[in-house]
Amino acid sequence: MARYVMTVDLRRCIGCQTCTAACRHANATPPGVQWRKVLDIESGEYPDVRRSFVPVGCMHCADPPCMHVCPSTATYQRADGLVGIDYDICIGCGYCAVACPYQARYIVHRREYAYGDRPTAQEEARFDPQRMSVAMKCTFCSDRVDLAKEKGLTPGVDPEVTPACVNSCIAGVLAFGDREDPNSNVSQLLAENQFFRMHEELGTDPGMYYIFDKK
Amino acid sequence: MSAAVKSVRKVPQYCYQCVAGPDLLTVKVEDGVATEVEPNFSACEVHPGAGKCCVKAYGIIQKTYSPNRLLQPMKRTNPKKGREEDPGFVPISWDEAFEIVGAKLRETRARGVLNEHGYPRMAASFGGGGIPTYYMGTFPAFLSAWGPVDFSYGSGQGVSCTHSEHLYGELWHRAFTVCPDTPHCNYVLSFGGNIEASGGVVGAWRHGKARERGLKRIQFEPHLSVTGAASAEWVPIRPKTDAAFLFALVHALVCEMPREKLDVFFLKHHTGSPYLIGPNGFYLRDPATKKPLLWDLKRNAAVPFDTPDTDPALDGTFTLDALELGADEDRWVHQGIAAETAFGKLAAQMRPYTPEWAEKVCDVREGTVRRIAAEWVEQAQVGATMEVDGEILPYRPVAIQFGRTVNNGWGAYECCWARTLLACLVGGLEVPGGTLGTTVRLNRPATTRQASVKINPDGFMHYPMNPTDKATWAARPKVRNAHDVMVPLSANSPWSTALGPTHFSWMFQKESPENWPRVTPPDVWFCYRTNPSISFWDTQELSRRLAEFPFIVAFAYHRDETNHMADVLLPESTDIESTQLIRIGGSKFIEQFWDHEGFALRQPAVQPAGQTRDFTDIATELAAQAGLLDKYNEAINRGAAGVPLSSQRWDFRLDPGVKHPAATIWNHACRAASAELTDGAETDGLDWFKQHGLRTRPISRLSWYLFPELRRKNIRFEMPFQERLERVGIELGRRLHEHDIHWWDVQLGEYGGLPKVHDFPGIWEKETVKQAGADALEKYPFWLITSRSMQYSWGSNVGVQLMDETSGNVRGSRGVLINRRRAGELGIAEGDLVEVSSYVGTTRGPAVLAEGIRADTLLMMGQFDHWATPYAKDLKKPSMNSLIPMSMALTDATGSSADIVRVGVRKAGGAH
Amino acid sequence: MKTNVNPGQVTPWHQTNWDWRAAGNFIGGGTGTGLLFFATLAAGNADAYRIMALVALAFVGAGLTCVWLEIGKPFRAINVFFHPQTSWMTREGMVAVPLFACGLAAVWFGGGIFVGMAALLGIVFLYCQGRILQASKGIPAWREPKIVPLILATGFVEGAGLAAVLTALLPGSGPRWLAGVLLGALILRRIAWTLYFRAVDKSGLPKKAMAVLRPFGAKFDMLGQLLPEITLVMGIFYGAVLPGLTFAAGLVAAATGWWLKYTIVARAAYNQGYALPVLPVRGQGEVRPGVKPGWTK
Repeated sequence: MARYVMTVDLRRCIGCQTCTAACRHANATPPGVQWRKVLDIESGEYPDVRRSFVPVGCMHCADPPCMHVCPSTATYQRADGLVGIDYDICIGCGYCAVACPYQARYIVHRREYAYGDRPTAQEEARFDPQRMSVAMKCTFCSDRVDLAKEKGLTPGVDPEVTPACVNSCIAGVLAFGDREDPNSNVSQLLAENQFFRMHEELGTDPGMYYIFDKK
Repeated sequence: MSAAVKSVRKVPQYCYQCVAGPDLLTVKVEDGVATEVEPNFSACEVHPGAGKCCVKAYGIIQKTYSPNRLLQPMKRTNPKKGREEDPGFVPISWDEAFEIVGAKLRETRARGVLNEHGYPRMAASFGGGGIPTYYMGTFPAFLSAWGPVDFSYGSGQGVSCTHSEHLYGELWHRAFTVCPDTPHCNYVLSFGGNIEASGGVVGAWRHGKARERGLKRIQFEPHLSVTGAASAEWVPIRPKTDAAFLFALVHALVCEMPREKLDVFFLKHHTGSPYLIGPNGFYLRDPATKKPLLWDLKRNAAVPFDTPDTDPALDGTFTLDALELGADEDRWVHQGIAAETAFGKLAAQMRPYTPEWAEKVCDVREGTVRRIAAEWVEQAQVGATMEVDGEILPYRPVAIQFGRTVNNGWGAYECCWARTLLACLVGGLEVPGGTLGTTVRLNRPATTRQASVKINPDGFMHYPMNPTDKATWAARPKVRNAHDVMVPLSANSPWSTALGPTHFSWMFQKESPENWPRVTPPDVWFCYRTNPSISFWDTQELSRRLAEFPFIVAFAYHRDETNHMADVLLPESTDIESTQLIRIGGSKFIEQFWDHEGFALRQPAVQPAGQTRDFTDIATELAAQAGLLDKYNEAINRGAAGVPLSSQRWDFRLDPGVKHPAATIWNHACRAASAELTDGAETDGLDWFKQHGLRTRPISRLSWYLFPELRRKNIRFEMPFQERLERVGIELGRRLHEHDIHWWDVQLGEYGGLPKVHDFPGIWEKETVKQAGADALEKYPFWLITSRSMQYSWGSNVGVQLMDETSGNVRGSRGVLINRRRAGELGIAEGDLVEVSSYVGTTRGPAVLAEGIRADTLLMMGQFDHWATPYAKDLKKPSMNSLIPMSMALTDATGSSADIVRVGVRKAGGAH
Repeated sequence: MKTNVNPGQVTPWHQTNWDWRAAGNFIGGGTGTGLLFFATLAAGNADAYRIMALVALAFVGAGLTCVWLEIGKPFRAINVFFHPQTSWMTREGMVAVPLFACGLAAVWFGGGIFVGMAALLGIVFLYCQGRILQASKGIPAWREPKIVPLILATGFVEGAGLAAVLTALLPGSGPRWLAGVLLGALILRRIAWTLYFRAVDKSGLPKKAMAVLRPFGAKFDMLGQLLPEITLVMGIFYGAVLPGLTFAAGLVAAATGWWLKYTIVARAAYNQGYALPVLPVRGQGEVRPGVKPGWTK
């Protein structure tokens, strides 16, 4: 069975937030709700200073603490590794949000708009009442991934079935694919490069792999 | 979702919000509502950024649906203008709007297109880099039909752009902008360049790939920018001392290394290095042919530069008879004179600029200079070659890149010269892997860089300097910024006006300098996608001048600080509501190097909002109102809308006497474009382009490099000696003095055969002391600089919430960046509201504490002190534009200055 | 003006999903179940037990009401029972049902097997609460395993403390050894707190969380531990002269337990933040040591 993961080439990332904006479009999240965002992390002391740009979001962990704590089973894990949320079941208790060590979950209790107290035509067209007062997060664009079989396409290769952030990335930072397939783009990247996963010590077995140097 | 979606379309578009465009994209339209922006995946094979679009493009949808848009024409009811005045805008019909503007245009034409001072009565200002052209439909045809238009009221361009690079870049290697050949380069020295923030999709894409490949970039700048962050090394250099570092590099190469480390063949045969220099600072010439001479080691004699089969001497002093031709009619005949080569002169000139000297100036250790000099020659791989489309070219994978403030204002000329020279020293100019130009805007024809290459009598590229000789020098400027009079290098192309000292138009309107014709405001001023009241310097002063303009027509998306002074606001259907065809491909600004060329379409994905109109339809009606319809249509037929509508093999010209709807005009343009790309075989029109979005054909990658063209035409790069500049400077000085004009004398000092490094920061310091008193430097102890952000740069998008939100993820975008230790000394904590002041003004914003900035420097990323623009005016961000003076003393010889100013900072009390 | 929830923030920030209402659940649950347990032992008679058990159940109920008020979809609250396999919140909910049933039955009958069952279920409920916090991997101050004995210990202290208060107020005197039990519970809490704090100090915490816990700990050691402990010791020796000492110690012990839980749940709940074990190579150069912004270590 596939396990879909994302690779993040930190050597390339420039923190431009194009993925952030693309995600906001693709998933119609309200202002301030960024399922994908890029951190800007400074380290060191002048003049020996570094600045790193780090895309973050739901890591689609193989051992997801959010799912374990969820009292309603709204958070679930698919056979292909994607972690999803059933908005019809979720009670919005927020337990998953405090269980997630990646700060990936959002609960929005009232509608917010880009401009003032009225939605734009886009916001009105894309408003999803199901997502009010329940937990939400990056889905790895699972709706797209789900089309792959039907259309005979490959996630991570064909844009139609690839997460929006990956499609949008202008520096070739993000890649998506099947970790179980040794020939997939992500497996190739991970075979050729050194990588880490964030907060791996917490035992979450996260599905985002950060590449930091060649092997 | 709230309801099942009935129809979904993906509509191809382009985004050209910044000079690093175009980006190609699609807009997803669900039941008539634009919902999502995506890359144009079908363009990934032809677009050098894989068909992607940058973060700014994602703002288009909010921009389209913003409730702050103007949806119908408005007219001013309060005749008084000024920041404090309420314009009293009231809605009017398009008929009334055209009637008002039309009457003014007819009245203006009736009085004559030039005013009593000889300046155009009509002026127009558009946003930087020519990018508004890609959204103004056929308005260029209207301007062409009108006749003389003054484009010299700058809104940042000319003074706040990479100005010296534009002018000197075009002079030396047809390089309006300069960049590395990133796909082949291994080593980049970047001085203040911010390619990762302002290089657009293509910049990010190429550099990302190169970094993974192992390209080493060293970033020199006072703060750790996005580009510095993505570089292998950051060198926190003292502001405005880049020229000193570069000269020390030249010193290390020329004065400390053995000659064989350099590309001696390139220097001898492809540059002016072996030319012999006379005692008066001009080339020594063959008395018979007047050709410059070099010393041929094979013949052991002086021979004209183009003598076949020579081995020119690079160094040495030689005795010869020669003619020396100076400025105007100056000439000297020399007998048995001892003369040095240009390269020898260079070595002597560079001798004082040791790394030890540079350490004191730049605050960078001398060891760093020597290490980088050694890396430069090692990485250059002198002798290596690469085959490009069957032609063997030198391969030199080293390059130097500059950013704003380094390549404009005092010291920029010296930086540009040193960069070009450093490339020449290793044979790395305009060859694979090396330092390249991108496009031409001053030289003609502008079709390709290669097309503009012509040899001049001295063996260098011809350059269309504005005349400085006594007979043809223009004593009276044609436009208000006087670029044609004061800046010979600005040339005389349609772009030249905007590339002069565009602050002069504003400055001289208040007070003309000594012995200078009076500058009066234009009778009619059009503005579009520009906001000089925010984006220029000394914005308060500029707003006062703007308020003096008698009649302003603003093509307006929403209210802003500039159209606050307007008489009529005309709202156009914006990015994804209207139609336009543009040329794409070839090589363009920043890092736009394509393997294809062609056309791309912008089209209505959604119904225009309110009563907004397609810009092309507005332009057509204005032309008709002004009685210029025939000329307007003829201008379109000639190609003023981007493509000539006829050739010998096809003819899609418009009937000149008819008001054609936008769709008809662009259908003709599309058919002509199809024919041009297929040599007449295909003539697909607007419907085809609407479906496909773009049409291209492949081109040779040889078009990326200028060296093959020069080699073919036996032309040398004009390095290191600048005889032309020496001559032009002397002549210009004489002309000005003949007219008793002495206020440009300091600037004339920039012209010369070989540049010197001056105390460039000292120029700003002295002016600060002059304006603010002897203790000014204690009062204003910091350098304030700026840096671009990808979310905002060029975008005219300060009213877009998504840009505000996403920029918030980037450090420093919302405040004043200050060194953490220094902030601690001043009692400033993270988020404290601080007040930053110069002798011109004051601005406020939250403090952002960082390690990645020098202790003597502050950084403000945006210019955001809006007071009229909806949404933006509530952001409460700082702007350095309120702090920078418009000053003659801070203007260099090209007419530019730099975004840098001495400031003081103090805690303003309270958190932001 | 719309702002990002945490614009550009890379250091841990205080979680925003659980507020004082969540703390209320832990306060109510701990005190209620602790009291239910000690009511079994401390009540002088059936009526006293009934009152104490009702107060205990009210505490637990108030806590659960706080949670109910906090969830986004309160009318779907029944879904909380769907995941007993792994969710301690489900388990807490599932224990709450028989807890109330047994508790009310014990009140009704004023004794018998239900008293013991209610006390036992209360302990299970309290244990669930400890595990709820421990399973919150996103909150470093909660996920420390030693939070479970701390939650248990403070629950006992709060229960014993409140039992001491109530027995003083209710007719029929409680057992004299209650002060000793409370003292014992306090000592257990002191040990649990010390072990917990040492553990988080050793493993590291977000600086802001530590900036809450460290000064709190100093005060808590004095006010939450030493003060009631001394008062109780004095009560043991001078109880006859100063009968209010145990009452006062109980009140202080319970209140400082609430303070402890409010501090941990509502004030020290800084999230994990982000970290890079190493910094990426940018073109050329060496891999550099990583960074964990906003952490004590």
